[in-house]
Amino acid sequence: MPELVVRVNGATHSIPYEPGLSLRDILDATNYRVRSACHGIGACGLCRVRVIAGEAGEPTRNERLHLLPALLSQGVRLACQIRPAQDLQVEILNPAPPSNWKSPPDAALLQGAHERAAGDRWLPPGVKHPCGIAVDLGTTNLCLSLFDLAKGKWLADRWGRNPQQRFGADVLTRLAAATGSGDAAREMSRLVMAAIGEALLDIATREGFDPRRVVNVTLVGNTAMLALLSGRNAELLLRPENWERPVDCLPRDTSGWVQEWAINPAAGVDVIAPLAGFVGSDLLAGLVATRFVEGAAPALFIDFGTNSEIALWSGEELWVTAAAGGPAFESSGIGCGMPAEAGAVFRVEAQADGELNYRILGDDRARGVCGSGLVDLIARLLESGRLQPTGRFAGGAASFAFRAGGTGLALDKNDVDLMQQAKAAIGVGIGALCASAGVSTKALRRVCVAGAFGRYLDVASAQTIGLLPMVPPETVELAGNTALAGCCDVMLSSRAADRLGELRSRARLLNLARHPGFAEAFLENLYLQPLRVVNLG
Amino acid sequence: MDKLVETLLQGDHVGALSEARRLLALGIAPERIVTDGMETAMRRLDDKCTVESFNLLEIMLAGRAVSAVVNELYPEGAPPAQGRATFVIASLEGDIHDLGKNVTRMVLIGKGYRVVDLGKDCPVETLVNAAEREHADAVLVSGLITPVIPQVRKLRPALAARGLDGIKVVAGGAALKQATAEELNVDYVAETAFDGARYLEQLARRKTE
Repeated sequence: MPELVVRVNGATHSIPYEPGLSLRDILDATNYRVRSACHGIGACGLCRVRVIAGEAGEPTRNERLHLLPALLSQGVRLACQIRPAQDLQVEILNPAPPSNWKSPPDAALLQGAHERAAGDRWLPPGVKHPCGIAVDLGTTNLCLSLFDLAKGKWLADRWGRNPQQRFGADVLTRLAAATGSGDAAREMSRLVMAAIGEALLDIATREGFDPRRVVNVTLVGNTAMLALLSGRNAELLLRPENWERPVDCLPRDTSGWVQEWAINPAAGVDVIAPLAGFVGSDLLAGLVATRFVEGAAPALFIDFGTNSEIALWSGEELWVTAAAGGPAFESSGIGCGMPAEAGAVFRVEAQADGELNYRILGDDRARGVCGSGLVDLIARLLESGRLQPTGRFAGGAASFAFRAGGTGLALDKNDVDLMQQAKAAIGVGIGALCASAGVSTKALRRVCVAGAFGRYLDVASAQTIGLLPMVPPETVELAGNTALAGCCDVMLSSRAADRLGELRSRARLLNLARHPGFAEAFLENLYLQPLRVVNLG
Repeated sequence: MDKLVETLLQGDHVGALSEARRLLALGIAPERIVTDGMETAMRRLDDKCTVESFNLLEIMLAGRAVSAVVNELYPEGAPPAQGRATFVIASLEGDIHDLGKNVTRMVLIGKGYRVVDLGKDCPVETLVNAAEREHADAVLVSGLITPVIPQVRKLRPALAARGLDGIKVVAGGAALKQATAEELNVDYVAETAFDGARYLEQLARRKTE
């Protein structure tokens, strides 16, 4: 992979990159964004960089229009007009102001995958190039996609932290806060609504987009997030008897949201209703995006998160459950953990000499380890005998210290324990679904791994620690954010919306906590070893 | 006895069981196996969890080994030797999580106490009945979710209504440990299973003195 060396604000960072994108798009996925206001078409002239070394090609017509010959001769260029293919060293002359909103690391490369057939949704007349925004409301992150509805063309993606974090990292704490205080409930609703507005503003300013083109906003999310946004029935979700029942969390009136977001006054807001108290519309959307129930062969779907949702398709029946394993997959609560963003160790490989090699997302400096890096690291330590299947370090060590990208990091027993608990919840869920549907893991012909965590996951490592069943690796699809993809489908196509409705009536719910033998199955699954499905009887 | 302690700490329930059988065959009294073997193991597990960090699997494995040994020592389910306290433990109605409760039960059994486990989703009434019937020294409730808090608050009045004021109430678990003993109307809020066990040990000691 060629390397991009970026100088910005006096510091230097080297970033390996896949050729094929403009320099602006490559930088967009890192923490070193260049200022821009035209969606990278060479119209605004803001994304100035200076090429220090390497081949950047001849200046384009747009660059000659914006940059005086004197500047061009100093190597000043527009980042959106350069498509580097080899090692390149540049200085960012006009860095973007800091923002809470980012482009997903490989969104631009996935552009092809984003294209949809032109939608069949009704569009209000009189709006030029009407657009829609699909939103996935997660406990940890909010993700959104902007589409041209008439053409089915993808325009932009953004993701950022869910600002409700300060009311609690997990769903139950936030629900309890909302139930305990009307002010807290209103504030949590307002925070998410405002965050969507901010993300839209980031797109508007950076991509030169007029928000009044937005005629529809479609949202999916876990049930708690939807209830907190709409301000309805959060208290019901605290009671386990409602977890297997539908809970109404659709907003009563969204005209205030439309106003706040400054989108087209005629815009509609569609919140996709969740399946039940513990299974949200994010899962339904994910099943739509992966066309999960369309094959005849048994298939497994896992959306990894703090509350992981798991579905099993037997070829005839659809079984669904949720496994609350804690936030380890999102690397939250882990001493050396960080989200899967620039600066995160996302892969750990063993070299021939036994030393470990750490790969870092979008940077040469590590700030922490994300979920997939954690799975890799634990798998490598197990393979080399430095960690035992019980989660103890060999020789009674309390932690494993390592250096990645010049940063000293350590994995301690507590970190391993959190991953054990998270993966045990998944293992119990898979076992319970397989038992209910009468499908053995050997019969699985398809395993869809969804969620940000799944994007960089190494399947073999995941199998080593027992996070995924031992199926042939080519059976496993790393499907990315399927909730957002399915939300886009539903926004664009009434057929996809129909399929979601069909899934809703078809799904059979399984509550793990009520399952006999849960404790024994949980214990067996705490071991860091290949998954053995324990029959819950 | 060292070998028993070691196998218990390793969570090797097969090894612990055969070691307990060997000790019994040598004519060692069950009570001594509890005090010298299991209690030593629990103390070391407690130290380990305080100094290092908590590993759920290790504790659950040790707990499973302890349960296996206790079943071997007292096959009739008879209470351990005289003077040992009895505790009644449950997750209250509405809460179907019982991992934390199970860990606490194992720790207390390991320390030689008699523990009556009423399972999860247990009504306050059932808990109070059991406390009376079993002559419990304390009632222990574990709660992962906040909606059980109102039920926890009802426990002391419900015990008092039966004239069981002397029975202490201890709460623990993710949802309950955020609150104070006053807010929950209990005698003690335990940070961890071991913290709760230390409180109960003090209680039992005071009782025997």
